[in-house]
Amino acid sequence: MSFVNSIYNNVFRRTSTFALACLVGAFGFERAFDVTATSMFESMNRGKMWKHICHKYEKEEE
Amino acid sequence: MAGVLGRLPSRAIQVSSKGHFVSFPGAIRLQRTATPLNSNLVYQQFFSSNAAAALKNASTGKKMLLASLGAIGTGGLLLLVGLEKSVKAGELELHPPHFGWNHSGTFQTLDHTSIRRGYEVYKQVCAACHSMRFIAYRNLVGVSHTEEEAKAEAEEVQVTDGPDDQGNMFQRPGKLSDYFPSPYANEEAARAANNGAYPPDLSYIIAARHGGEDYVFALLTGYCDAPAGVVLREGQHFNPYFPGGAISMAQALYNEALEYEDGTPATASQLTKDICTFLKWASEPEHDTRKQMALKALMMFSLLTAITYYWKRHKWSVLKTRKIAFKPTSKKQA
Amino acid sequence: MLSYVAKSSGMSQYMKVTAQAVNAAKPTLAPSVVVAAGIPATHPSPGARLTGDTLRLNAPRNGNVLATTGVRNTAAVRYAHTDIRVPDFSDYRRDAVKEPTANNRESAPARLSFTYVITGGAMGIASAYSAKTLVTDLVMSMSASADVLALAKIEIKLGDIPEGKNVTLKWRGKPLFVRHRTPEEISIEQGVDVASLRDPQPDSDRVKRTEWLVVLGVCTHLGCVPIANAGDYGGYYCPCHGSHYDSSGRIRKGPAPLNLEVPEYEFPDDETLLVG
Repeated sequence: MSFVNSIYNNVFRRTSTFALACLVGAFGFERAFDVTATSMFESMNRGKMWKHICHKYEKEEE
Repeated sequence: MAGVLGRLPSRAIQVSSKGHFVSFPGAIRLQRTATPLNSNLVYQQFFSSNAAAALKNASTGKKMLLASLGAIGTGGLLLLVGLEKSVKAGELELHPPHFGWNHSGTFQTLDHTSIRRGYEVYKQVCAACHSMRFIAYRNLVGVSHTEEEAKAEAEEVQVTDGPDDQGNMFQRPGKLSDYFPSPYANEEAARAANNGAYPPDLSYIIAARHGGEDYVFALLTGYCDAPAGVVLREGQHFNPYFPGGAISMAQALYNEALEYEDGTPATASQLTKDICTFLKWASEPEHDTRKQMALKALMMFSLLTAITYYWKRHKWSVLKTRKIAFKPTSKKQA
Repeated sequence: MLSYVAKSSGMSQYMKVTAQAVNAAKPTLAPSVVVAAGIPATHPSPGARLTGDTLRLNAPRNGNVLATTGVRNTAAVRYAHTDIRVPDFSDYRRDAVKEPTANNRESAPARLSFTYVITGGAMGIASAYSAKTLVTDLVMSMSASADVLALAKIEIKLGDIPEGKNVTLKWRGKPLFVRHRTPEEISIEQGVDVASLRDPQPDSDRVKRTEWLVVLGVCTHLGCVPIANAGDYGGYYCPCHGSHYDSSGRIRKGPAPLNLEVPEYEFPDDETLLVG
């Protein structure tokens, strides 16, 4: 409970710190959201996208 | 609170907790009626009795006339409807069924292995007559070919470049930035070589035809003998999916028309499916990105919807749970 | 307000509305109010909580309740206050303050934090993300398109250029000179006294590999295209106004003020030159 209290007192009470927390959170969120959405999309389309089949053709070059 | 309520005067208002109008037991919802019921009834009676009386008093001849007029009118109307729905010669074409493409789903990407095979089909079969002027070799990179492979594909063709120092045009091997070569120098040359028919550019053909890839698939696999009564000019072929039925392109894709690099059995339907997927990609290169964006947008909007719902409840909870009491502020009661 | 009510006795005709009380348990409807027949009067079962929903079940369905109003008849019906039931609003309370004895100050930071996290935090973050994506897309749409970028770089096979030969290529609409220098040329250019030059620049600054010189074929005087392997210094000679460049592309004689421009280029491997 004291943890919540300190968070509340240090972050949420002042608009400046709150806005800053939002901005910092946005960076983490962006990364997590993009990774989640992309991995979902790729698992839905496994074997169809170029990144799933490109290894077949890149090996020939070496 | 109970004490206050107990001393409330005769008027007390309550606000519902869910936003609906709440009737407490036995409460009556009041509604004003714009037109008094009675006058409406009277008006209806007056009207119907008038018409009925007029008909009753009419002579037999008049009744006959009215009846025949009605019959003619109805018959004429039905005839018009019937004529409107008549079969027209221009509509004598088959509409393609929907085939179960594996990129049809909301979040389904194109099958890139199929795009790669479709490029082979285009290069070996279609490219003899059809251009793809808006697709460059660099577009294949990261879609169906690696950069090295795409470069090799480009170098197979000779591209006219120039002018050089002497002002002459010259031929050089293709580069990644070059567009697919056209089989004919211009439209006139293409028409002259094909009985006057112009093989359309295939870059955006899927987007440019009703039915999209379904139509192209049906067209390419739908060649058959012309039925009796259909006259085809020389060089024309019958295809029920083609508007008008007479198409100048001969059937191009047969079983084993080519050999796939990856060993897939090259049946006519396989070839057609692959070329359709390839052309679909050519018409919509952003297809996969678009669907991924759709997924992201839907996720984001559902998140925002959930938050908005919470926010709304949070803001409204004060209004929804208030109790309004009329409390006279006389000294006695205070 | 009360005084106003007290003085309004003359209006009693119109104040009938407050003079007719109905016992809700046995609804005795005023004559002016007509309830459509067949509406089931549902009451909450005894054990059920009194919420807005259960109260709503008591309301007449279909809205077929008609009432007429006028000066002479009663406009509304009111109920004795003891019949009024207050709904249970505990659905709107946080768990921490559901108990009537709970101290709301203790849980205030937690409750406020939750709301801030959900609304400000999640909404702000999601909005910031969307705004960033939108702005990025807008800015990216102003960058060069893919077909332009594809032409911005050219690849040159070095094996095609024999020693001592200069080739002219077209790059971004300008002529590009690629010169395969001979060892003699290299040694001459490296031995030039930099101080004696109009635009002092040592040969090592102008080439990445000594045998390859890559310069733009645009005379720095008025933009003519110089002729290769010509002029007093064996490099380039501009026929328009007679500027002489050496085989490092430096201005040696004539009106041009500067050396020939060296574009950005690199050697990805021994066989290729990538300009751009």
